[in-house]
Order: sequence, then C-alpha cells, then structure tokens
Amino acid sequence: MFAKPARRDILRALPCGFGMLGLGDALASTDPHIPRAPHFAPKAKRVIFLFMHGGPSHMDTFDPKPRLERDHGKPLPFERPLTFAEGKVSTLLKSPWRFRKHGQSGIEVSELLPNIATCVDDLCVIRSMVGDSVAHGGAIMQLHTGSNTFTRPSMGSWVVFGLGSENRNLPSFITIKPTLGFGGAKNWNSGFLPAVYQGTAVGHGGLDLTNVKDPIEHLSNKRYSPDQQRYQLEMLRKLNAKDAAGASDPELEARIQAFELAFRMQTHAPEAFDVSREAESTRRLYGLDEEESKEFGWQCLVARRLAERGVRFIQCSHTYRVGNEAGWDAHTELVRLHTKTARHVDKPVAGLLKDLKSRGLLDDTLVLWGGEFGRTPIAEGGDGRDHNPYGYTMWLAGGGVKRGMVYGATDEFGYHAVEDRMHLHDLHATILHLLGLDHMRLTWRQGGRDFRLTDVAGVVARKIVA
Amino acid sequence: MRSILIGIWAAGTVSAQTGEFFERSVRPVFAEQCQTCHNAKVRMGGLDLTSAEGVAKGAASGAVIDRADPGSSRLLRAIGYDGAIKMPPSGKLSDERIRAIRSWVRDGAAWPAGGAVPGATAFWSFVPPKAPVVPKLRNERWVRNDIDRFLAASWEAARVTPAAAAGRLTLLRRVTFDLTGLPPTPEQGSEFLADQSPQAFENLVERLLASPRYGERWGRHWLDVARYADSTGADEDHRYPHAWRYRDYVIDAFNRDLPYDRFVTEQIAGDRTGSIVATGFLALGPKLIAERDKVKAFYDIVDEQIDVVSRGILGLSISCARCHDHKFDPVSTRDYYSLAAIFASTKQLADAESNPSKLYFTPLGPAEEARRYQEHQAKIAALEKEIEAVYTKQRQRRAEKLRPRMADYMQAAWRVYAKGEKAEPVAGEAGLDAIAVQGWVRYLKPHGERIAHLDRWHAVTESTVGVLAAEYQEDYQREAAERRKSTARKYVGDNRFFTDVNGAASPFAIPEKLRDAMASPEAKQELASLRASLDELRRASPPEPPLACAVAEGKQVRQQVFRRGDHNQRGDTVPRAVPAILAVDGQPEFREGSGRLELARWLVSPGNPLTARVMVNRIWQWHFGEGLVRTPSNFGKTGEAPTHPELLDYLAVRFSESGWSIKAMHRLILSSNAYRMRSASSAAHEERDPENRLLARFPRRRLDAEEIRDALLSFDGALDLTVGGALQKMTEGNEKPFTNGRLGMDPDSTRRRTVYLPLRRSNLPGALALFDFVDSVTTAEVRSRTNVAPQALYLMNSPFVTERSASFAGKLLSGVPMPAARVERAYRTVFGRPPQADEIERDLHYIHGFPAGPNSLEAWASYCQALIASNEFIYVR
Repeated sequence: MFAKPARRDILRALPCGFGMLGLGDALASTDPHIPRAPHFAPKAKRVIFLFMHGGPSHMDTFDPKPRLERDHGKPLPFERPLTFAEGKVSTLLKSPWRFRKHGQSGIEVSELLPNIATCVDDLCVIRSMVGDSVAHGGAIMQLHTGSNTFTRPSMGSWVVFGLGSENRNLPSFITIKPTLGFGGAKNWNSGFLPAVYQGTAVGHGGLDLTNVKDPIEHLSNKRYSPDQQRYQLEMLRKLNAKDAAGASDPELEARIQAFELAFRMQTHAPEAFDVSREAESTRRLYGLDEEESKEFGWQCLVARRLAERGVRFIQCSHTYRVGNEAGWDAHTELVRLHTKTARHVDKPVAGLLKDLKSRGLLDDTLVLWGGEFGRTPIAEGGDGRDHNPYGYTMWLAGGGVKRGMVYGATDEFGYHAVEDRMHLHDLHATILHLLGLDHMRLTWRQGGRDFRLTDVAGVVARKIVA
Repeated sequence: MRSILIGIWAAGTVSAQTGEFFERSVRPVFAEQCQTCHNAKVRMGGLDLTSAEGVAKGAASGAVIDRADPGSSRLLRAIGYDGAIKMPPSGKLSDERIRAIRSWVRDGAAWPAGGAVPGATAFWSFVPPKAPVVPKLRNERWVRNDIDRFLAASWEAARVTPAAAAGRLTLLRRVTFDLTGLPPTPEQGSEFLADQSPQAFENLVERLLASPRYGERWGRHWLDVARYADSTGADEDHRYPHAWRYRDYVIDAFNRDLPYDRFVTEQIAGDRTGSIVATGFLALGPKLIAERDKVKAFYDIVDEQIDVVSRGILGLSISCARCHDHKFDPVSTRDYYSLAAIFASTKQLADAESNPSKLYFTPLGPAEEARRYQEHQAKIAALEKEIEAVYTKQRQRRAEKLRPRMADYMQAAWRVYAKGEKAEPVAGEAGLDAIAVQGWVRYLKPHGERIAHLDRWHAVTESTVGVLAAEYQEDYQREAAERRKSTARKYVGDNRFFTDVNGAASPFAIPEKLRDAMASPEAKQELASLRASLDELRRASPPEPPLACAVAEGKQVRQQVFRRGDHNQRGDTVPRAVPAILAVDGQPEFREGSGRLELARWLVSPGNPLTARVMVNRIWQWHFGEGLVRTPSNFGKTGEAPTHPELLDYLAVRFSESGWSIKAMHRLILSSNAYRMRSASSAAHEERDPENRLLARFPRRRLDAEEIRDALLSFDGALDLTVGGALQKMTEGNEKPFTNGRLGMDPDSTRRRTVYLPLRRSNLPGALALFDFVDSVTTAEVRSRTNVAPQALYLMNSPFVTERSASFAGKLLSGVPMPAARVERAYRTVFGRPPQADEIERDLHYIHGFPAGPNSLEAWASYCQALIASNEFIYVR
C-alpha cells in the first residue's frame, strides 16, 4: 500500500502530497496518524495483546495430555530437541492439575485458570504455535517483531503504520509496563518505520503503576498552572507565527499542530488511565479488590478504557519477575509458581473478556493471550519445566476469529506442533488479516528491499477466520 | 537444421542480417539489464550472458537455451516471468524487448563475436571515479569555487535561480551548529560581525575546526555509521565496559584529522597496525548473548560485521547474500562467504566455542601486565573460595549433628509459630538448639503462598504433629539413603523437602550474621589466618590494566558456503576474497592472518570504486542534510542515482588525491557559495524543485537530539566541556541479565556533552530517542526528523527543559538589569540574532502580563521556555 515512501521525511512518506491542497487539508494529509483504509474489509479494528512473559505451560493450561499421565516418570521416547537448560536429562512429567470440559464448546481447560475457563466459548485456542528460539530474548523479539536476530519494527508499529489512529488525543500504540530486558524497547519500537509509529510505554515492568499520576511521560506540568501554561502556549503561537512570516510551510505547521495535540493529550490522557471512575462492580470483575490480581487487573481495565477510546494497539504484560522470583518461567517448582502466577492473571483476563463482550467491544477488538513459548513435557530439575518453542498454546478472542474453537494440535506428549502448525509468522499474518491488512502488501522499503512483519514467510490461518 | 545451428555456435559466424538485429535489439538489453550480474566475473547463478560460450554453458542449474525446443527455453520463461525465476528482478522487460529476445532465441540464439558495448557491464558506482571536466558557465558571477560550477551548470539547464546569500548571523549559527553541534554565543556573534575582513568566514571556519567541539560533533556522525553503543543489545544487553575508548578514539581521530584511509584501516585491522582500540568498530556490534545455537550466534556476529563494513564503508548491502544471491546487485553468496571467511578467522569472543556469552576484552598495556593482574585475581578468588569452604564445612557438621532430631525440631517449630510459644524456652526444655528451632520456624510457617511439598505439614493439628514430623524425617532419611546408592538419582524426580533441608539455606544452617560467632575455635583460627592472607593479597593487587573491546586474529577457518544461510547445510569451500564486481584491479592477495589487513588496504586502494565516493557523500550529507546520493549507505542498483554525479566524482577524486583529509573537504565545501545561500524557499523553487535536488537553496534542518540537549545546557553556561572518559563505572561485562533496572544512565544526572552519555542499546535515553537519535543497532545512514506530540510534551513539561529554562532565566535576571536588554540577550543566546523593536515590546508585554506573577522569575522562566520550544530555535536555517 505504501510502496515506496521517502526515507527520511515523514511529511513525504504519506499517501497524498500536499502541494495542491489548501492549508487545512495539507495539515490533515501530513498527519501520520490519520485513520487509513485497510486493504480489505477488516474484522477487527484494534488489538489487545496480553503478554504472559516467561512462558506459561500449555500442558498445564489449555492442552491436556493423557499420555503424560500414563507415562509419568518415563523417559521421553524420542530425541529431545535443543533446549535452554542443556545437560540435565529428565523424564516425562504429568500435569499436577485436572482438566475439565467447559462451556458449550466443551474445550478443556485446567483448574489452574477457573475464570478464563468460563469464557472458553469466546476463545479460539491455538494449540499448535511454533517459534524459532529456545531462549527468552530471541523468542520475545520474534513474537513482537517477527525476527529473533535483527531489529525490526514491532507488530504494534506495523499495525498503526497500516491503519493510523482513531483517537487524536492519545497515542495509537500503548504498551503497559513492558519489560526492559530481553530486547527492551526493541519490542515496541518502530525499527526502520518512522518514529511516530513506535509504541508509547506506560511505565515498565519494575514499577508499581496502579496509583500513577503521569501514565505517559511528561504528561503534566509540575511548575505552571493551567492558566500560566495556556498563556505560555499563546506566546509560543505568536513566536511561531512571526517566524513563519505569513508563508505557509507544512513542516513548520505540523510542528505547531504537534504542540496543540500535546496540549489536548495532557487534558485527555489522565482521564483515560483513571480507573477510579469505574463502578465498584467493574473493578471487582477485574480482580482489583484482591491483592493477587489487582496489578494485572489494573492493566486489563486500563486496556479496555484505551480500547474504548480508539487506541489501535494495546499491550499488557505480566512481568517476568514477581518480587524476587519467576512468574510463568517455572524451571523449578511448577506447582507453586504456576498457581501463584495464574492467580495474578486469571480473573483480570476473564474480566476483560466479559467486560468487552458486555459493551459490544469484543466484536471488533482482537484479544491475543500467550507467552513467548510454552514449556516442555519433560521435567527440569524434577519439578519444573523448560522452554518449549516447538509446540505451544496461545489463544485469540473476538475481532473476527471463530469462537469456541480449538485449532491445531501438538503430539501426544505436547512437545511438537503436529497439526495445523501456526508459526509466529503465520500468527502475525493472521492478525494483520483480521485487521484488514495483507501482510504481503504492508511493506516498507529499506536499503533497497521491501520489508514486512512476516519477513519472507507467513500464511493466514483461514480456518480460524469467522 | 540443428547441426547447422551448432555450427554457428561453435564458429560464432552470423549472417549480416541477424547480426544487425542482435546489435540493435538484443545486445543492448543484455548489457543494460542482465550483464551486471551475469558476466564472466560475477556469474550470478553460474550464468554468464556476455559471450557465446557463456550462453552455451548455461547456468549452474542447467542450460538456459533449449535448442530442441527454443520456445520453452528457460531464458524465455525467466524473462516472461512465467516460472519461479523472474528476470530481471527489478521489473519485467517491456513487451517489445521480450519479443526481440524471443525472436532471437527462436532464430538460434546466435551470438556474434566482438562488438561488445564498452563498459556495458558496469553500473556507475562500480567504476572507479575519474576527475570530471569542470563545467564552463556562461555566467561566473555566482561562483566561489568548482562546487558552485557543478551546481550552477544544473541550474542553467533547469532555468532555476539560486537563493540569495544568507545573512551573516544566519551563516554564523548555521556553521557553528554544523561544525560543533553548539549554538554561537552572543559574544561570538558580535565578534563575527566585527570582523570586516574578506576572510572573516574562512577565519571562523578555521577557529571552529580547531575546537575540540568539532570532533565531538563530527565523531558522533561517524558513530551513527558505526552503530556505536555501550552494550550488546539484542537479548540480554550486557555491558561493553570499555566501549568508550573507541568512542574517544573516533572523536580524537576527527579532531586531529586522521586521514580517512588510515581511519578505515585502523578500524578494520587496528590490531595489526598498533591502534587496537579502533577495532571497536567491529567489536561493538549487537550480540545475542543467550543464543543456544553457538555456530549461528558466531555467524550472526560475522554477518553484523559484514553489514557494517559493507554498508558503512562501501555503501553496498551485502548481507542479503548470506541466504541467497543478491536480488538486485551483483553480489553472490560466494562473495558473501568469501568475506565471512575473513571475519570468521577473527577472534570475536573470549571463548566462542564453549561460552559465546563471554565477551572478549584486550589488554592495552603489556601482555605481561595483564597476565599478572589476572593471575593475581585468580589467587584472590581461590582464597575467597577457601574461606567459603570453611563455612560450608561448619554448616555441614552442624547439620549432621542436629539432623537426627529433625522431627523434634519440626514439632518445636510448630509450637512456636502455631501456639505462640517462645523459641528459647521450647528449645531449652527439649534440649534443642534455639537458633535451629528459629530456622525451622522460618521454613515451616505458612507465608500465604502454597508450597506443594509442605501441603501435608500445613494441614497439621495438635494430634497429628508428632506422627507427621516423624514421617517427614523418615522421608528425608529414605531419600538420603537412595542418593547414597545412586548419584543419578539427583535428576530423577526431585524431592524438594530433601533439597531444602540439605541446601545452603537449610533450616539447620547458621544465619549469615552468626556465621563467625558460631564457628568452632579451630575454624575461627583458620578463618582469621585466611582473612589476613586475603587482605594482604588484595592490598598487593596490581591495578586493573586498561582494556579495550576489540577483535584479534583468530584461528583461520576453511569457510564453506552455508546454503540458505543455514550452517547445517554446507556447500563449497570458498577462498578469502572481496566481492568480484568490485575487484576492479584484481583480487588482493590474502596471505597471513584473518585477512582483515588486506581487506582494509583494499578498501582504501585507488582501484576501489566506492570508498571515497561514499565518504565524500556522507560529508556532504552531514553539511547539507541530504547527500548527493540520497541513499548514502546504498550505492547499489536499488539506491538513488546521484543528483550531481560529476560533482560526486570530483569530490571523491579530490578527497583521495589530497591525502583523504576530512578537514580539507570541509574547507572546500564551506568555501563554496552553495553553503552560503539562504534557506528560504521561493514559489519558483517549490514548483520546479520541491525536493531541492538542484540545491538552489540551503536546506533548513531540525536540530538533532544532541544539539538540543547541549544547547539547553550551554545557555546558562552549565555545559561541562570535559573531553572523553567513561561517565559510568562499568567494571565488568556480565551484569545480572534479568533485571528491570536497565535504564542505563539518566541524562539529567550529568552536564557533560551528550556524545559522552553511555548508550544502552535496549534502552536509549528517552530524550534522545524522542528526537530521532539512531537506534544504534545497525549502521545508520541518516537521522529521521519527526515532529510529534511527545516531543512537544517533552519541551512543555519535562523536568529537564523546565529546569534549564528557569536556570537560564535566573542568569538573565542576575546578569542583565534592564528588562529590554534581557530580551535582547535571550534572543542572541537562543536564536543567535538581536530582537526587533516590536518583538521586544511584545515579549515585555508577556512578562508584565504573566498570570499570578508578573515580572517574576516564573514569568521569565516560562518566557525562556517558550523561546526554546519555538520553531526558530529548533531549526537551523
């Protein structure tokens, strides 16, 4: 769609030139965030990505494996692929949790996630995810950017590059409390796409943000009253008007507009993040009243408020480390760590799904849940599980995916995806497709080559499209 | 018929008619569209389309002409875009051209000997530059030097008039920011206006080039190309603790005008020429620390180096050829792996084979000194281990003594935490160790989190506590017995209770702070003597010798081609070589070592068609915002053609012939009239040349991130102009990876110039990233210049900008008594010009009318901030 935008100047990178337009139109056309028509009719307008950093175990959540029950303690009957914790050889480990069929679809979910289980008829559970990295760094980068080796624009950047923004008072791509390790900002930056498409980070993984004053950096002025600041901005307008000397210069005008937008953002953004405006029942729905779930509950509730306000791509992250120990990354003590971590997210995630649905937002909001990989069916250190990118589970909900569906399968041990394999490239292609974007046509020319989110791969999983 | 054709092939005789058709309609198409890649030298895909022999031989995958059935020849399928191979890749030929080649193939594909179009295989940038004829102009009035002649010639042709000369203060602000990254001070403004000599501008340029600030500005330009940063980025982002030495080397190289040929040589092979720090250029790239595929991790480093060398120095993208022959440029996978052979024979990591996450640091002092230091550190470490072993032994002995009564300890602990009894009397009564009872209390007391292996215990009651404690003890003893039988047992089904009780944090362990007090008398004595030796050893330690992040010569590898970039699919072995298409004067002879020195020398050899062109283009771009080639790291076929090819070659030849002096290039460019035009655009310019490709006006540019921060620090004189050194102590490379506290250094915590801030790849300082600082991950050819709301928020609200504005205002208030004079001083400082009368009046009106505090410091501070946020400050004209 944007075959060859000029490299450096965002003003020139946009679809229509401003040469022959009036000034008002010129401003609109130079705005990189103006909503843009997708390639074809979209099923979803926005994405909420619930990132489970560390990698939840699929065999203990959404992918039951009776064979593990039977062969518990026996060695793996085939060669173990490259793992993260090399050297330790171990045996098959059955799930400590019971699975039960839920909803009309009868999809099995373990007792680890009792609340999400009640939403199962809205989920499309992909049991055949595949990635290329066994270490967190590469796996996270591939999940977020499509590449586990090079720096590339992140998924959210591609989406806002393709679709623009529907809210002129908020950033179009917001990532809440992202981790600063494992690639850090590379996971929400815009790579070679213009910087306007990068994600805006709200805090980072180590911060307690539930009572935050400035969700977006530099959002409020600590020195001047609103009156004084308006007076100052009026002065700035005069300075700029005099400087332009009456000539209409789109670049200078764009900068003036950026200040106007900033001032609007300053007024509107705090309200968007203010969950105290929500009804008590809503806050309870997200688990904000419970110690264990209030943190992620806050993230999910903020995500819904941002979705309502037209933010295009929203990411919530369950942090890698909780206090001084692992969250989902249970190399040891699977039972304790997964029980604890599941309690952090189970209620908030279910609350978000229910809330989106009751507000009619689930129809055009695509929710993605999952980690950078799953875990191994064999034990690590006796009571933990290692990383497994060869076959694991993520799920989608809402925005044009089939509901109450299981897609793909792993082998009977849960090690390798064997049916309808969904490589991360395929997942990216499918997400773009649901947003009305053709992953082959959403390209950016850089260094003489057209780059895309899906590199040179990616097949849309049409079976899951509603 | 067929035999006749074969005869023609062999003899190369062609009828006159066919020959004419070939020369007119076929050979030019091959020459223009095919032969850059398919010639005798490059032979992309094994195919040479420059001779009858080449055509007859076909491609590596088979014949391209099917003589039995010419219509289905693979050549025709390829140009018809019918199959998987579509040629030429840059776009399908016109129907007319396809018809011509089709008809030529049908008629037997005869290839007349001789008559080759001279230079047909040569794309412009693959031919070494030659000094062009300087154009003769009808009107020389505008000309200051040859640069102007080249530009003016293009204007005459396009009937464009150049912009008028810029005012002196505009010029002063332009060249001062350009050469030093800082604004001119009001005093420098007065001085420059006072210098009435015709050489005033040249004098100014000399003064700026001699300032250490010059290297800080221009060195940073090169650091963009070198994708410089102080950490490995990628996954775990470990620190490069000595990276700053390379940064300082670059700044210094610019300041002392190190000739560019030597600058390049040192950065590629400085370990062989006595400038080892310079090889930081290769060593400081992003690296995946936790990649488990060690061979891939190593070749990712090699790839990253090929990329920075090829795009940064040669302006050619070669990395694509890691997996497949380059689609557009004549670079094959063989070319790629021939270069890879050089970097793979280079020492990149401390131990690439077994531990690719350990970085390699080179001692800068004598090797002997470094060895002594390391040996000494090893002795210290050994002694520390010995001390630790004494404690471990104490712990084990104590555990052995107490363990037989484990069940009693568990019961006692339960009485303490569940019944609220005191530990001391409970212990005393049962003859137990009170400290161990407390240890068990800590371990057994529920903490609100479920611990699976203590589930049973946590369900204990008064009546079951005795039995249960005994069961836990039995369980422990059974596990201990099992383990004595089989060491493999450790890995089969862990018994976490056993591990806990047996481990360093066992409930029986001595608490850290009591370790010394509770040691046995013999142990105490032993510890005292070990400690004394340790103190002595530490005192005697030689200081850490200076280290550099550098590369060295490694083991020479026999490099094979990796099919599709996959090191598990190995193909032909290739020799070390430079890309065939660029070996204009033949291949350099690779003899000893990795071959980096030979590569470096070839890069700056007279026959190299790219190196000088690429660098003069960068210099031009850093002065004018855009290069003569507007894709400065891509001089290949997908890059843009130069707007002024003769001027580019003129500068390239001047550059190499005048000893590769960068400062000489500045003098040449800055003494042109082209540099001194106004930036204002006229309606005629906008209409005829909206992108300013004819350079008939000077381009306006937004200040870079560093210029904004440095200028704000300079207004009140706060900027610390110390040169070089490390701002952050980075003692070792391997810092704990899994932390969220990885923000790097807060720019607000120092007043040093921005170029000296350490750069953490995964988290660049926000204020820099906000204003389009480079991502520092891959070589950067140009900074983007965005105008977005978060920048406005930063200028309106950030603590840095508000603090700087207030401090500047404070300086105005204390240093300049009269309000009108303050406004004047503020204009001269921020905008580099005096205010007009109506501006003074308006601005004083602002100060007097400031809500809730007219004439206050707040009023002045908010006024200074408005100036800083304004377009006039942020743009250089």
